[in-house]
Amino acid sequence: MHRIKVTINGKEYEQEVEPRLLLVHFIREKARLTGTHVGCDTGNCGACTILFNGKLIKSCLTLAVQANHAQITTIEGLAANGLHPVQDAFLEKFGLQCGYCTPGMILNACYLLQSNPQPSEAEIREALEGNLCMCTGYQHIIDAIRYAAERMKQSGTVQL
Amino acid sequence: MMDFDQLFVTRNWVGKPVRRNEDVRFVKGEGRYVDDLAMDCAQVAILRSIFAHARVKRIDVSRAAAMKGVLAVVTGPEVAGQTKPIAPRAITKPATQFVMASEKVRYVGEPIAAVVAEDRYLAEDALDLIDVDYEPLPAVVRIEDALRADAPLLFDEAASNVLLDDTLEHGDIKRAYQEADLVIKEKFHVHRYSSTPLENWAMIARHDKASDSFVVWANDQQPGRSVVNVCNTLQIPTNRFRLIVPDSGGGFGIKLAIWPYMVILCLLAKKVNKPVKWIQTRREHLLGGTHAPDCQVELELPMKKDGTILGLSMKDYENDGSFVHTAGIYGLIKFATLVGCYNIKATRAQMLSIATNKGPTVQNRGVGKPTMIFVLERAMDIAAKQLGLDPAEIRFRNFVQPEQMPYTTPSGEIYESGNYPECLRKALALSHYEELKKQQAEMRKQGRYLGIGISAGIEPGTSNLGYYYTSRGIPEYTGNAEGAIVGIDYDGNANVIVGSVDTGQGHATTIAQVVSDMLGISPERVSVDNQLDSLISPFLGHSGAYSNKFNDVDLGAVIRATEKIRNKMLTIAAHALQSDVADLKLNNGTIYSAKDNSKKVSFREIAALAYKKILYLPEGLEPGLKEIAYYKNPMAKLPNKENFNVQLTHSNSVHVVAVEVDVETGEIAFRKYVIVHDCGNQVNPAIVDGMTIGSTVHGIGGVLLEEFVYDEDGQLLTTTFMDYMKPVAAGLPQFELGHMYSPCPYTLLGTKSAGEGGAIGSLAAVANAVEDALSPFGVKVTSLPLSPEKVVRAIRETKVI
Repeated sequence: MHRIKVTINGKEYEQEVEPRLLLVHFIREKARLTGTHVGCDTGNCGACTILFNGKLIKSCLTLAVQANHAQITTIEGLAANGLHPVQDAFLEKFGLQCGYCTPGMILNACYLLQSNPQPSEAEIREALEGNLCMCTGYQHIIDAIRYAAERMKQSGTVQL
Repeated sequence: MMDFDQLFVTRNWVGKPVRRNEDVRFVKGEGRYVDDLAMDCAQVAILRSIFAHARVKRIDVSRAAAMKGVLAVVTGPEVAGQTKPIAPRAITKPATQFVMASEKVRYVGEPIAAVVAEDRYLAEDALDLIDVDYEPLPAVVRIEDALRADAPLLFDEAASNVLLDDTLEHGDIKRAYQEADLVIKEKFHVHRYSSTPLENWAMIARHDKASDSFVVWANDQQPGRSVVNVCNTLQIPTNRFRLIVPDSGGGFGIKLAIWPYMVILCLLAKKVNKPVKWIQTRREHLLGGTHAPDCQVELELPMKKDGTILGLSMKDYENDGSFVHTAGIYGLIKFATLVGCYNIKATRAQMLSIATNKGPTVQNRGVGKPTMIFVLERAMDIAAKQLGLDPAEIRFRNFVQPEQMPYTTPSGEIYESGNYPECLRKALALSHYEELKKQQAEMRKQGRYLGIGISAGIEPGTSNLGYYYTSRGIPEYTGNAEGAIVGIDYDGNANVIVGSVDTGQGHATTIAQVVSDMLGISPERVSVDNQLDSLISPFLGHSGAYSNKFNDVDLGAVIRATEKIRNKMLTIAAHALQSDVADLKLNNGTIYSAKDNSKKVSFREIAALAYKKILYLPEGLEPGLKEIAYYKNPMAKLPNKENFNVQLTHSNSVHVVAVEVDVETGEIAFRKYVIVHDCGNQVNPAIVDGMTIGSTVHGIGGVLLEEFVYDEDGQLLTTTFMDYMKPVAAGLPQFELGHMYSPCPYTLLGTKSAGEGGAIGSLAAVANAVEDALSPFGVKVTSLPLSPEKVVRAIRETKVI
């Protein structure tokens, strides 16, 4: 067993964990933050996407022990109050159906807009490569991300 | 269809793209999927067969049971001893199968034992300590292997691997052949794929010792049937089993038969004194949870030289794998679209359900109809080419005409409404069809291969559930219905519970739109509980989210219950205001007299009368404001081989697709994708658009990427999303949508099916486009998927995909 200290959404979690414990299971079962989902177990679907020291990663491909001293943002930490503009854009543009891929999609979109505030349709499609949605055919997700980019440009929102 | 002036008191919400009220919790990561429920559970892992076909000689669980952290183990023989076999629905041959394999395993991944441990990691460890002695048997994988006279048998008691073989004839098919100038004949093959919801199957079971009863939480798509099946299989009365369905991360049919695992979990829960949870892994899901069958379809179209189709003859072999519960339905349901959009007067269809050592099959989005429209629309293009007709023209010559509506097909299917020629005209216009053809000619000069594909399809909804008894002749289920409870609470707000579930379709929003306009309140004042609870929700044996039935019978039940509650509120208001009900109007949560505006009473005050000041209610009126209603589609016929309807609403669409094929690499790139569809009236057009596009992408995944590949020993080679490839955002087209609105006369809102349609029309549209692109090479498309490897090989060698 290893004692690890992880900061998730600004809150510190200190726990004894088995070395084989996946980070996604630490987040879901130890920190009880269930907005991060498991969809494929092999890093292909992106439902477990989180921000790890500011980088976008898949928490099913990471061990909890690797997160010792890391700063993590999950979907629950995106907006302290109300909704982040990207979350609101997903609502406005019907960017989801079953909602299972949505937390990963939204974190991916936020990460994209941070580095590329006005992405083209092709750049958005490219950026979503690692996130699968089985419901929407992606079109409304892309509409939502473009809408969010536009709104954030107008309001001068600084992401994350 | 109802008179909307009578039905609605406002027209503020129905027909508008109202924001989904479900979405706030989902975008915040506050969904309540099964695995999110805060319960202290022991965890289940399942040992699965490593052979496709083998006798199980011995299972020794002693080492696993003794492992620290393991709470209980159950094996196939133990389960078989405590349960009844799985009840078949459509097959006519005897075939005995239990929810867990006991004497014999029939596919790689079939459950043979299960472990409960303190956590999932320990449970998985314990699986390694279970010793199984197998006696491998030869595997039956392909349809032709299963049909051989000396083929090993999946079910000895059936004495054949063909579990259903039935031929149904309607109209004068002999005459169609006699009068034909030519017969188009082709053999098609469609592979195995699935819609793979992003959330795998998930369930929790708890046993209460005192009452010897069970509660199960599961992401079940058809809880009505699950309650019946679990109780029947466990041989317990219905009142000992409670099923709760919270949020579900997608379904598409693939969660319609998860109940066998509930049986296993109930047995485990009874062994340990705490709730037990099983979360399916993606590998488990791809192995056996579940597939659409691969199939071979031999199609013949006797026709005249002018392109008029006189008849349709089909022989349909479905490789249904090894799940007796749903085997056989893929052939039968094809009758919902057997003649497509066309005036075909005579049909003969032979349907065979073949048992093999592939994984289980259940209803995947569209269920057999994607294949039916694929073979029919492919055959239309083959015929057009042979007759020198434009693909659009041959379709125009055969369409059922709008003045023929409602149109009854030879087997008895009723197409309620629609204008198929206009739908094609619109799609051609929207896609700039003539321009595309010019562009195609220009690009050919540059050595680039653009292809244009058209597909016209019927998109049926609301299953008439007797259909799969057509061959068995013993209806246990007939028709289709749903239930709803509508109440007004103390604050004068409405609340709704339905007997069905949601798997991402936005039912709560759509229901709130309808109730709001019926009561004259805003959707914020209508709460809809999506969570099904079999103790409370008004479900039937049919209840669930499938066959696009929601905007027919689910909304029908909501409307009927809302009418009841509205009438009761009007009765109370008339008494309180000393007015006639006929003079009363509803507006903004108030009932007022049209003759005297000052006479008014709010919903809150009416609720106070109904719940608290009950002595002020009209004489003889029951207290309370909660009403239940069940609503059934009125068009369902009893199953009868001569005349039956498989589904009860029929939308239609045309897809026009342009693709460019790289003839060196076999890569297929979309250049245009137009969908014009007609699902009658739409309650929330943004939701309909989303499902139309999403469903089309399911079809595109099936055409281009996804395939369950088995080797000759029946081992599945595609067990992760690395090799079972799903469509991603890059590489998909920007879809252009056009709408038509032919109201359905037989549903209350004039709605028809929405949701499965794109998955039906897209296979043929893409395949037709690819064949068109490759016409300079003489390549014919008769099978799917259109993988780069097959495309290149066809161009260079075989000339057939």
